Parts: sequence; structure tokens; C-alpha cells
Amino acid sequence: MSQLVPLRGRDTRSQAFFRFRHVGEKVVITNMEGQFLLLSRPEFDLYATGKVEAGSALHGLLSERNFLRSDGQGAGDAARTADTVSRLQSRKRFLHQGPNLHIVVVTLRCNETCVYCHASRANMDATHTDLTPALAEQTVDKILQSTSPDVTIEFQGGEPLVNFPVVKHIIEYALEKNRTVGKKLEFTMVSNLSLMDEEKLAYLLQHKVQICTSIDGPEHIHDKQRRLPGLSAHRAATTWIKRINDAYREMGLDDTLYHVEALLTTTAETLPNWKAVVDTYVDLGCRALFLRPVDPFGFADKTGHRVEYPRMQYLEFYRQAVDYMLELNRQGIQILERFAAIFLTKILGGEDPNFLDIRNPCGAGIGQIAYNYDGKIFTCDEGRMLHEMGDSTFLIGEVGNTSYRDLMGHETVRALTIASNLDAQPDCVNCAYNPYCGVCPVHNHKTQGSIFGRMRESSLCAVHKGIQDYLFGKLGEGDPHVLETFRRWTTVRDRSHFVQACST
Amino acid sequence: MTVLRFHRSLYLGTAVDEAVKGFATFAEFELSEEPEHWVVKLTHADVDRERRVAGELGNWALGLSVQKGGAGSEAKARA
Amino acid sequence: MAIDLASGSARVELDESLYPLEAVYGAAYIFIDRCYVLLDRPSAGRLRVTLSPKTGAATEAVLRPLIGELANELLSCAWRYEITKANKTVIEQITTRAIAGAMGPPSLDELEKFDFSSDAFEDPLGIAMSWEDKYKKKKDAP
Repeated sequence: MSQLVPLRGRDTRSQAFFRFRHVGEKVVITNMEGQFLLLSRPEFDLYATGKVEAGSALHGLLSERNFLRSDGQGAGDAARTADTVSRLQSRKRFLHQGPNLHIVVVTLRCNETCVYCHASRANMDATHTDLTPALAEQTVDKILQSTSPDVTIEFQGGEPLVNFPVVKHIIEYALEKNRTVGKKLEFTMVSNLSLMDEEKLAYLLQHKVQICTSIDGPEHIHDKQRRLPGLSAHRAATTWIKRINDAYREMGLDDTLYHVEALLTTTAETLPNWKAVVDTYVDLGCRALFLRPVDPFGFADKTGHRVEYPRMQYLEFYRQAVDYMLELNRQGIQILERFAAIFLTKILGGEDPNFLDIRNPCGAGIGQIAYNYDGKIFTCDEGRMLHEMGDSTFLIGEVGNTSYRDLMGHETVRALTIASNLDAQPDCVNCAYNPYCGVCPVHNHKTQGSIFGRMRESSLCAVHKGIQDYLFGKLGEGDPHVLETFRRWTTVRDRSHFVQACST
Repeated sequence: MTVLRFHRSLYLGTAVDEAVKGFATFAEFELSEEPEHWVVKLTHADVDRERRVAGELGNWALGLSVQKGGAGSEAKARA
Repeated sequence: MAIDLASGSARVELDESLYPLEAVYGAAYIFIDRCYVLLDRPSAGRLRVTLSPKTGAATEAVLRPLIGELANELLSCAWRYEITKANKTVIEQITTRAIAGAMGPPSLDELEKFDFSSDAFEDPLGIAMSWEDKYKKKKDAP
């Protein structure tokens, strides 16, 4: 006997372009410009088969969100078209300008050894891995040629405080040069903070450098994963987090806006400790927590057997941690999860926060550039990390002899722009999360052998889908406290204190 | 002796030539043609080395063919 | 699909109507860092991909996942080929806008180096011709 199920007849004359995905008991539908609806199964059935009754509440909702086809002659059609165009432009506003994030590796030397170090740090006597002042100036000259009106110079390492004289030189040289260039210039530094002292802090505060560090959770986890010989890396970092946050308050800055940003790298050790991780961040006064999974670059390539985990386990950890954070928010404790905030800004806000790793196309080359200590230039930080692992696929030039336009016009940049376009990617082209998502071609290259990759087998895709499934699941539940918290997480407040003054 | 047959509709003749030139010093080569294939015969006293040279040459010929637009590109260029 | 333990290789035979050559190139290429790859055409309309691991023992446990990965990559490449054809215009527009936005306008030095002498387009109506060239007096002609 035939086991085939007869296909039901469908009327497809009423539906505009849409994609769909089952999330729990609901179905999320999205359209080209990123509007969405969460429908019950019966509602989706009516929509998909073209049986939504004109004049019904469902019809009104679908029409309002542009899920119904029109003949172009209707009274509101011109306005709706203009609205759609405006929404698309908003989502792609970053396309008209060049890289805004410029990562400068001032040294590979580091005084900590982290089990997952993706920067391939060097020992403290490896002074040949320090960026020289001369190359630093050439780097800044290149940076200020970006067509982006906003430029952020991010100091990374190794540990950037090891080469503090060059950090200062870059800041001062950039400020001087920018007097005639006129960029909206900012500085950030990613540091383990263990080499901080009052003199360095005074300089960084005076020069408005945003400070970012890593906290891997409670002390026993952090110190096990981030070894600082003879000392507790956790205690060093937390001491200075508190000191810096106090300094911001003393300067009269709003501490809900100005504080040290801390990041987590989730390892196998972290997974069962989701509550302790969140509590650690809350106790430190951190307002945001970025639950980043471990990536395949640098040391993690060799230590993967210790630190890695199936992504389903990560997503379980993520859901538990964010559920707990939502509960804390309900109790008046404001703590935000960064991944969620990025996706929710796109989903609820219709804006693209320009987080370069989750963007379509991605930021490689056109949104960020990484400058190594030896003057070599890469499409992105991940490309630079691969170079330190022996793979120079994403090297696009050198500060001394490659023009800015040749960097942007490099065939590798073009290839990555095409490879990260979700409209050219199997699976992504049909995925309901297409308007909100992004892929990393460098991650694809490392894990799957091509910059295109296969998303069904991509651990990064699994993370992105899983997080968005969680968020849409929460949106579908409709809890007012959760919805209010989510809306608060999409609010981007201007941190103008960090913007450098310049005169043109 | 290892015999590699590169189908003319899949590999560029110029790519095969270039690959053979690249590996010329690593083995003894003999080139010939069949109606549908470019044929490369290679010999080395060390069997493992012979296998390795044959394999790398094949990869190189494939890579060059892809890089130059595939086997159809020669026909398009002549047209 | 076949595994040949004697020669230490895995072979996949394909219908060319399902997997265009461009897709086969793309899929085969990603293996060249860890396998020796050979393409062949066993008969009209059929393609064959042979993979031989470069290092390590070519056991069934090693070869079978290679075939699986190749099959998945072939599907991915074939589908991508179709998608790219269908969405060519929007892909080109986004790429052009992104690169042009990032590059910005050329500097005077770059314009000076640009070769304007090459014929960029056909001009059957002589629109790009200068007035002097267009109306040159016959006695001035060489």
C-alpha cells in the first residue's frame, strides 16, 4: 500500500515573499526586509495555503507587516514600497563605507597563558613580536584613510600593556593626524589587566580609551584556564575592573553606560557553571555578558580535546544562563546578554548594530582590518590568527607598501564579501533568520576547507540558529517582563565620552 | 610506473603541461595523448615517492585548471 | 560510490545533469590539501571523482567519511551554483556597493597611473570621440 501523503492544494496568489521556521508550537515567518510574525500552526496553515479571510485580524496583521501581495494599485502601496525600501536600506547602511574597526596587534607577548588563546601569544622575552613606533605610524596613516567616518582603533595582543609605549605613541600620533582628517575616532583596548598600574590607568582614562577584559567566571574556573604565574589572574582582573569602574564614577560618568566590558570564552569547564558565571559578572557590577563559544583558532586547535564541546551543549548552557539573567532582570538587576542584544536589535529594532561577525556580508576587509605587529595586514582578526597558525590565506598587504584602495580592492576581500552574502549561500537563502544573521568565511575555511562552508555542518550556524530559536521562542511566549527586557536590550545609548575631540 | 589520465573535458592541456614542468625534477616523465585524455606516465625508483609526485601533480593540474576557468575555457577562448 | 582498499581510494560517480562541472570542481578542490584528487569521465554525461588520502592508512573507516563529506560538498556546491545564477544581480550589486564604498574615489596619483588609452567600450556613433577628431579637416589627415 502506498505510504505517500497527498499534497494539499495551495493558493499562492496572496502571499508575498516569505521564509518560515517552526519554533516550539509556533511558526516564525520573516520577509526580505526583516519584518516577522509568530503564527500559531493553524494561522500559518491558513497563510501558507492562501486561505486567510480578507478583513480578519490575521489578514490585517499580515498586511501591516508586508506579508501579503498587492497589485500595486492600492491606496497604501506607494507608501508601503517606500517603507520596505527604507527598511532594507537601514539593514544595509554599512555597505556605503569602509572599515570602521581597526585591530592593531601591538605585541604577541603575553604574561598569561590561556588554554584557548586564539592570538597565539608569545613568551615575554619575544621582543621581536613588538610593533615598532615606525610601523605603528604607518599603520595609523593607513587606518585614517578608511572611507568610514567612524574609526575605532582597538589595541590587542598578546597583552597590549606589555608594549604600552607604542600604545601611547599610536594614540598621540593618531590624535595629531586626525586633527586634519576629522574622523570620529575612538580607542579601545582588550587587556587581561594584570599589568595595569595607576600610571597606565591615568593615561588611559585621560585619553578616553575604552577598556575590555576577559572574565571566565568564578575564580577557580578563570585561573585554571588563564594562568598567570605566581598570581591569580582572576583577582588581578577583578581588582582593576572595580578600580576602573570607580574611576569612571569619580569622573562623573553614568556607571550604567561607562564601565569595563568583560567577555567570556565558554569552554567545557564553563558549561555546568552557568549560574556561577552570571553571578560573577553581576557581583563585579558588569551590565553585559557576552557568552561566546570557543573558536577554532590559535591554541584551541591543539587544546580542543579539553576545551571543546558539542554545540548542543553550548546552547543548553546559553538557554539556562539567559533564563537566569532574565529572572535577575525581573528582580531589578540589569544584566544583558550581548549575543541576544545583537540579534534583538536586528529583529525588534530593524537596525543593524554593525557587529561585524554577524553581518551580511560580513565585515572582513570592508568592515574591519587587522594589522599585525610586523606590519602585515589581514582581512580580519580571525584571518590574522590563522596566519599565526601557518595559513596566510587572508593576508592582503603590508602597511609600508600596499595602498588603502588596493587593500579594499583585494581579490580576497571581494571573495569574502561574496562568500558571506547569505543570498548566495545554500541553507541561508531559505532560512527564516536570513535578515538577521551572518556567516564567517574564515571560520568556514578553517573548519570545513572552503570560505563558503556547509551551514548544516557549521558549528557557528548551529549557535546562531540556536540562539535565534531561543529568542523567538521567548517572543512567542509573550511574557511582558521578558518583552520589556528584550526591548531594553536593544536600546543603544550613545557613549560620546569615548569619542575623541578633533579640530579640522 | 604510474599512469595519470587527465580527461580533456575536465583538465586544461596547458594546466597539465604546467604541472608536469613544475614536477619535472622529481621523477621521469613521458607525455602522450589519447583521443579523450592527456596522458602522463611517471616513474621513480621509490614507489612511495612516485605515488606522492603523481598525486601532487594531479592536484596541481586540477588546481590550475580550476584557476584558469575550467576545461571549457580553452574552447571559449579559441571561439 | 565505491571504496577501493587495494588502491587506498574512494570513488564517487555522478550524473552530470545533477552536478554541473563547476560544482564538481568546487567540491573536489576542497580536498586537495588532504587527498590526491582525480577527475575522470567514465562515459558521456557521467563524472567520477577519486579521492586518495595523502597520509595515514586508507582504511574503510577513513575512506567512508571522505565519500560522505564529498557527497555533502557536491550537493552544497551544486545548489550554490543554482542560487548564484538566480541571485546574480543582487549579489553583484551588494558586492559592488560594498567594495566601492570601502575603496572610495581614486586619488589624483591613482588616476595618473590609470591607463585611459585602452578601449573600454564600442562607440559606433562616435559619441566618445573629441570634436577635433570627429571634424578633422581632410587636408590634415595623414
